[in-house]
Amino acid sequence: MNPLFRKYVCIAAVALLLAILPIAASMLGQEYYISLFSRILIYAIAAVSLDLLLGFSGMISLGHAAFVGIGSYVVGIFFYHSAEMEPLLTHPFTVQGSENGLIVIPLAVLVSAIFALVIGALSLRTKGMHFIMITLAFAQMIYYFFVSLEKYGGDDGLSLYARSTLPGLDLGNDLQFYYLCLLLLSLFLLFTTRLVASPFGIVIRGCSNNERRINALGINAYGYKLACFVIAGAGAGLAGALLANQTEYVSPGLMHWTLSGELMVMVLLGGLGTLFGPVLGAAAFLLLEEFLAMYTEHWMLYLGPFLILVVIFAKRGLYGVLVGGGKDHG
Amino acid sequence: MAEMLLEVASLNKSYGAIQATQDLHLNIEKGHIHALIGPNGAGKTTLVNQLTGDIFPDSGRIIYKSCEITRMSDYKRARLGIARSFQITHIFENLTVAENMALAINARNGHSFHFWRNSLKSSIVTANLDNALARVDLGHRARLKASHLSHGEKRQLEVGMALVGNPELLILDEPMAGMGSGGTVELSKLISSLKGSVTILLVEHDMDVVFSLADMVTVLVYGHNILTDSPTNVRTNKEVQAAYLGESVDA
Amino acid sequence: MLLVVEQLLNGLQFGITLFLMSAGLTLVFGIMQVINLAHGSFYMIGAYVGATVTVYTGSFLLGIAAALPASAVCGMVVEIIVLRKLYNREHLDQVLATFGLIMFFNELTRIIWGRQPLFMDVPPWLSGNIELLPGLFYPTYRLAVIGVGILVALVLWLIFSRTRIGMQIRAGASNRDMIGALGVNIKLLYTLVFGMGTALAGLAGVMAGPILAVESGMGESILILTFVVIVIGGIGSIRGAVAGALLVGLVDTMGRAFLPALFRFLFDSATADSAAASLSSMAIYILMAAILVWKPKGLFPAHS
Repeated sequence: MNPLFRKYVCIAAVALLLAILPIAASMLGQEYYISLFSRILIYAIAAVSLDLLLGFSGMISLGHAAFVGIGSYVVGIFFYHSAEMEPLLTHPFTVQGSENGLIVIPLAVLVSAIFALVIGALSLRTKGMHFIMITLAFAQMIYYFFVSLEKYGGDDGLSLYARSTLPGLDLGNDLQFYYLCLLLLSLFLLFTTRLVASPFGIVIRGCSNNERRINALGINAYGYKLACFVIAGAGAGLAGALLANQTEYVSPGLMHWTLSGELMVMVLLGGLGTLFGPVLGAAAFLLLEEFLAMYTEHWMLYLGPFLILVVIFAKRGLYGVLVGGGKDHG
Repeated sequence: MAEMLLEVASLNKSYGAIQATQDLHLNIEKGHIHALIGPNGAGKTTLVNQLTGDIFPDSGRIIYKSCEITRMSDYKRARLGIARSFQITHIFENLTVAENMALAINARNGHSFHFWRNSLKSSIVTANLDNALARVDLGHRARLKASHLSHGEKRQLEVGMALVGNPELLILDEPMAGMGSGGTVELSKLISSLKGSVTILLVEHDMDVVFSLADMVTVLVYGHNILTDSPTNVRTNKEVQAAYLGESVDA
Repeated sequence: MLLVVEQLLNGLQFGITLFLMSAGLTLVFGIMQVINLAHGSFYMIGAYVGATVTVYTGSFLLGIAAALPASAVCGMVVEIIVLRKLYNREHLDQVLATFGLIMFFNELTRIIWGRQPLFMDVPPWLSGNIELLPGLFYPTYRLAVIGVGILVALVLWLIFSRTRIGMQIRAGASNRDMIGALGVNIKLLYTLVFGMGTALAGLAGVMAGPILAVESGMGESILILTFVVIVIGGIGSIRGAVAGALLVGLVDTMGRAFLPALFRFLFDSATADSAAASLSSMAIYILMAAILVWKPKGLFPAHS
């Protein structure tokens, strides 16, 4: 079969499956799957954003969960202040809390992007192993910052009691929330697919292959990598905002470095540098966690070595198995 | 007196105890193919890296078109019209041939910071892509991943990318390295067809290529310019033969 | 004043634990160019084996004697089975595969030792305090840890400056091509260096046993601090590991001890406490960021 055709068939099949899944689940009385798959869609957004770094621009960030956490805390903190009727900021100007999704979700994306800008600007001064360790260290720094924020629950985090409000929608309804996540994931995939094929996209893909050559062409690679880091951070922030809504709970655990590692695993399982692959990877990882945990509490004992085997022998991931191509974004 | 495109004066660069560039003076005349030769370890690549801004000299001056660029960063020099090909082929193996070229075209025109439009469909790319590929005879390979090209074709692509946007100074760092004789002939033809339209600094081991193409030859030994002269005079110079050509021809 | 000295000693003791972790890891980074996230697992293995043997035999020294070879052997087996396949791979592959190792070892210790943390007692002959200065009593055990750490640092220094293999390793850390040129059996050298590094991690683990709880996942928190040490010191540099470890140990301990008091001069006590708590837990990361902005390759870069 023509690989391009096969790719479209696979994507259409997955999209169709995701579109009818909640309807089927509620008909079968298995509403639980709607919230499980909402979680999968949200992690997929985070994994796709991480794939921009790992698979396309060659920036190995081990601190991506920090931006997920920041996004979720923006939603959490605004909710807290709204519920307590206490202004978030009184000086130099007054900022009130909010539960309005049209305000807090874009704000979560924006704040994550700003953090990514600062962290990226500093981290990108370094390369290779240093970059990996520095992104990890910055994520830890933010983790400990939120652990020590007693006002917002410290280690225990914050409960939200309700989801954000959106005009015309009731996000408290799991079905509506699911379709919002699906819509946002689709939009994010559309954006990232266009992004990697754009003039900007070939520059960042070029950076991953040979940064020096990019500079020799008269392009300042630093700026492009930083922009890419910010875009990925914003995507993770979106995932965080949705995750805070889905679980109605935020905690520093969301930015723990093991979550960064798990996001990497999702990207790898799905297929590096494929954008659609990480969606499959997120689904595979969370479903494995869900179902293997039913049979054995020690499922990590098997996943660990399996991961090593995938790294050493089968780097094309699930996407590669389904579509046949490796790193292909044709 | 002829117009100089590049003037290098009293350039020094050392790595610890090793003096890689030593009080080096060099002038390159506009329009010339200027060859740079010297035994292994003579500091040719170190010099090229200082000209392109990959590394900075310890002291001395580099003047390009009457403007000092000694400490200017690499990408800014590229924007001023200094293009290079690397000793080891530096194309983007993970991109297609067309994408490689589009990248160069966008870079030269400052059109890379676009997120949405397809890179191969912008007007500036469609207007220039076919020509740029045809110039280095790669039109039929456009959709292929660059990693699948033959060694010679990779070189052609690299030179083609360096030529996009019509640079004024093209630095070719051992373009013939690792190529079969067929490829050498092809590439020599390409270089000689550029004569006059672009100034070329050619770093090369293959003496046949150097003496057939160059207008001027500079001989580098231990980071020092021991002679700059016409190919004929360099070939007959006793000192050069002793320092360099003898061993190279015998080898 | 006595409090300052006591906290300095605490910082020194913490720094020395970090040094034991960093010394091996920085060489693995420098020589093999492998990013190994699983180094903390060997610290954990050392702690578990040491605690178990100590409980069974009643002897802390036997515990140490068992922990060192256990973590060394585990390290060498992992090097031979997994890491060797990764030497010529991208950093991303190394990160992912060693992340898989962490999952495996954490779960394995949960199966063998259960989810409850183990607590190790300070051996009787090291319990109690010593009066270092008039009025300054310091726990004997912590002094012993400092002593062992200094001893290990001295032995390492002797190995690296006086022996042939030490010089080869050092040459390798600053210039990888050198080792091959020296005609050394690289595979064997790599395995030995890796085993030595994991043995030191195991030593750090067993010595931390009586101070911290021995539990699954204990390796990760110290691993990240180890990274901070290595990044600050410069990858591949033992000297950098010493400097980075002491700096991180001191800044972290002193920050936690004195920032709250310092902040109370400036703010009201509630603000001061929360600000000091945030700042002291972030202090070493801020230190690292500052050093990197100043010197992107760390204080003592081994690769020029």
